[in-house]
Amino acid sequence: MIEHDIIVIGGGLSGLRAALEAKKHGADVAVISKVPPIRSHSVAAQGGINASIGSDDSWDSHAYDTVKGSDYLADQDTVEILCKEAPERVYEMENWGTLFSRTEDGTIAQRPFGGAGFPRTCYAGDRTGHNLLHTLYEQVLRSGVRIYNEWMVTRLATDSNRCTGFVALNLLDSELETFRAKAVILATGGYGRIYQRSTNSIINTGFGISLAYRAGVPIQDMEFVQFHPTTLWGTNILITEGVRGEGGYLYNKDHERFMDKYAPESMELAPRDIVARSIQTEIDEGRGFPGGYVQLDITHLGKELINERLSGIRQICIDFAGVDPIKEPIPVQPGHHYSMGGISSSKDGLTPLDGLYAIGECACISVHGANRLGGNSLLDTIVFGKRAGEHAANAVKNIAMPSEYSLNESLAEERSNIDSMMGDSGESFADVKDELRQTMQKYVGVYRNREGLETGLASVKVLEKRGEDIHVKSRVRAFNMELMNVLEVKGMLDIARVITEGALVREESRGAHYRTDFLERDDEKWLKHTLAYLKDGEPKLEYKDVTITQFQPKRREY
Amino acid sequence: MVYLKIKRQDESREWYNSFEIEETAGMTVLEALFYVQEHMDGSLCFRYACRGAVCGSCGMLINRVPRLACRTQVGIAKKENTREGSDDIFVAGQKSEEENEIILIEPLSNLKVIRDLVVDMDIFYNLVDSIKPWISSPEKHPEGGNLMSPDLREKIEKYTNCILCACCHGACPVAAKDDTYLSPATLAKAWRMHLDSREDDASRQERLDFVNSESGVWGCDLVYKCVAVCPKKVPPTMGIKALREQIEKNKEK
Ligand SMILES: Cc1cc2nc3c(=O)[nH]c(=O)nc-3n(C[C@H](O)[C@H](O)[C@H](O)COP(=O)(O)OP(=O)(O)OC[C@H]3O[C@@H](n4cnc5c(N)ncnc54)[C@H](O)[C@@H]3O)c2cc1C
Ligand code: SF4
Ligand code: SF4
Ligand code: FES
Repeated sequence: MIEHDIIVIGGGLSGLRAALEAKKHGADVAVISKVPPIRSHSVAAQGGINASIGSDDSWDSHAYDTVKGSDYLADQDTVEILCKEAPERVYEMENWGTLFSRTEDGTIAQRPFGGAGFPRTCYAGDRTGHNLLHTLYEQVLRSGVRIYNEWMVTRLATDSNRCTGFVALNLLDSELETFRAKAVILATGGYGRIYQRSTNSIINTGFGISLAYRAGVPIQDMEFVQFHPTTLWGTNILITEGVRGEGGYLYNKDHERFMDKYAPESMELAPRDIVARSIQTEIDEGRGFPGGYVQLDITHLGKELINERLSGIRQICIDFAGVDPIKEPIPVQPGHHYSMGGISSSKDGLTPLDGLYAIGECACISVHGANRLGGNSLLDTIVFGKRAGEHAANAVKNIAMPSEYSLNESLAEERSNIDSMMGDSGESFADVKDELRQTMQKYVGVYRNREGLETGLASVKVLEKRGEDIHVKSRVRAFNMELMNVLEVKGMLDIARVITEGALVREESRGAHYRTDFLERDDEKWLKHTLAYLKDGEPKLEYKDVTITQFQPKRREY
Repeated sequence: MVYLKIKRQDESREWYNSFEIEETAGMTVLEALFYVQEHMDGSLCFRYACRGAVCGSCGMLINRVPRLACRTQVGIAKKENTREGSDDIFVAGQKSEEENEIILIEPLSNLKVIRDLVVDMDIFYNLVDSIKPWISSPEKHPEGGNLMSPDLREKIEKYTNCILCACCHGACPVAAKDDTYLSPATLAKAWRMHLDSREDDASRQERLDFVNSESGVWGCDLVYKCVAVCPKKVPPTMGIKALREQIEKNKEK
């Protein structure tokens, strides 16, 4: 049994920021991660991070944009924290070495992003996530936090409403081990890969969210799934909103700048949900190019600007689509991008289960509501990562190490779970996974309606049944990819089920959740958060109020 | 159709397996490996995360060139000479004269193999960490953040683009002979930290002293193989030369 006062599960931005803060407060803290921290999905973030550091900008204005962008589903008390603490968190990252882009006078440069009233997005070229994550990792190394690389956490242990630690699989030899802690911080990222088309890393399966869900923790607002308007046709690698921020145009096959039909004021810089639906409509109504895409054109921006500010994007287009955006438009289509929902947690990352925190994309502190603004999730990771780390470091001072009993029990359960998964016949994980991803894309995607959601739900239930019969055929010990995948596919099924049920019940359109059979937002019935609990193997939905402080819900127009 | 000839390895033996797969439009070597792992041989293992050439997980030898599997197109690699049987490590693919359709896939060179295409990256990480690769800035930052000129930023950026994929380490002839050699990526990072105006002088000097050795900047043969293979256009050799100059300049003082 391995022991630390605090163990952070996940080495992305949120996890590292939490670990660093806990360490600064003197706690004994470790990070455990299925990939080395710098390989985490955070490294892929391109466009930037929001903070109202501009001289005529203010945190209020940032908060207003965030709340409006969220279609009024965000909790305004946590949004206030997010926006107020943003400048300090960004300056801190700068001071630790993040290579932010600069203005001529040497201050941090900011670019406009969709849904924002000011150019508020700080960036490091189009490699913001890479620069932030490497910087934070360097500082974590400096601080001496212990890191367990290439371990997959498979089960949380609990003892009378307290998280006591977890069981993890050492990928190096497929052995299970127990980890005991006074506080556990989940920072396991999003679940993009349950969709067929996603900008997310292949490792983003959402398994961490299902760990909490299975431990009885509610997961919140899961039906709100962000689709990014511009993903590279084919691989669905992200083409950052920064490209439109720098002045890119969207064209359909008739060379119409079609955004003037949907958002005449903000055009290409309307919020993501609106642009994604506009593109999808163009494609669905036959104005896309063969194969289902539209064009994002930046040829008019010129070679120099593209090479200076969008060189990463240029390289992606050349490597993965054979298109040089200096010379030709980029083929793009909408794809899953961000998970607004997640483990229900509070302003310090606390979940309803004592000793368990959740932060970053796996959590729902509800700063993004029904639709996240670009540049706000990187911010979310470091603001709430810091708060959770600090809170946990103070909390563990007065808590004794839990007894080993619940951990030994969990270990025995997980052993028998894995033993029962070994076998030479049965379903293949790849088939179940592929069908799940297609189902979600088709029925629980950009546009939703009752009929489609019911069909989707029925398919997910069938896949859950088939999932019980998936077996791991390979007996290799070091890096048994089949075993890792089988464990994760089961978690993906949990999440798909909750998203689909939540979407079916929510009979309104709000932010990223768009029902063609209920086109309007319905504040009377649906200005509330969805909470899903696992009860007897099925999700049970409950609802809770949204916190509204300064901004009363208004119609959202751009 | 395309054949992947994959080097397999476990604690006790080494062998090659060939897999015949259907090539789809735009397929990358990483996607091809997933196809094999998911549909043909579940025991195959390799590392991956982002599939977009940003995380640095998937470095391996493809036709004996260290490169990222996710950034290498099957359609291009299958037209190259596999250079099977050669012990050399090359810096670029070589178009083959006849129809080839075979891609040779092996674990990254100069690191110990754990199994199949997974190598012991801790060896590489420990080398990188040995130079204390962090900015030792004071706890409190100046009001409004530190200032930095766009010019300096541009100089540093070339080096911060490193994703620590270890492709350069796999290509470096000095790393092949000497396992204490700090590695091109490490030295590139040392120069990145050195250039940064936020780094404090004592740490800068300490790092400079540390790389001032045969395992450090003086070990390099200046053959630029690292520059040639880097998928992120990081120029480690330029960093190494700059560090040497800096060391020489300090001596004169
Ligand atoms: C392509 C792309 C571009 C983006 N660009 C922007 C942007 O410009 N601005 C912005 O604000 N946001 C952006 N986002 C969103 C933002 O990058 C993410 O929301 C954020 O980085 C998530 O960070 P995280 O720390 O929550 O999780 P991640 O970085 O995903 O880290 C998750 C960690 O958890 C670990 N883990 C997961 N499961 C387990 C397990 N079972 N056991 C052990 N470890 C586990 C993983 O190894 C990993 O270390 C972008 C997202 C994408 C997809
Ligand atoms: S310098 Fe280039 S090849 Fe070497 S580790 Fe960095 S990115 Fe990879
Ligand atoms: S230039 Fe130096 S570091 Fe680069 S490959 Fe050659 S010997 Fe190695
Ligand atoms: S999978 Fe991330 S670099 Fe290839």
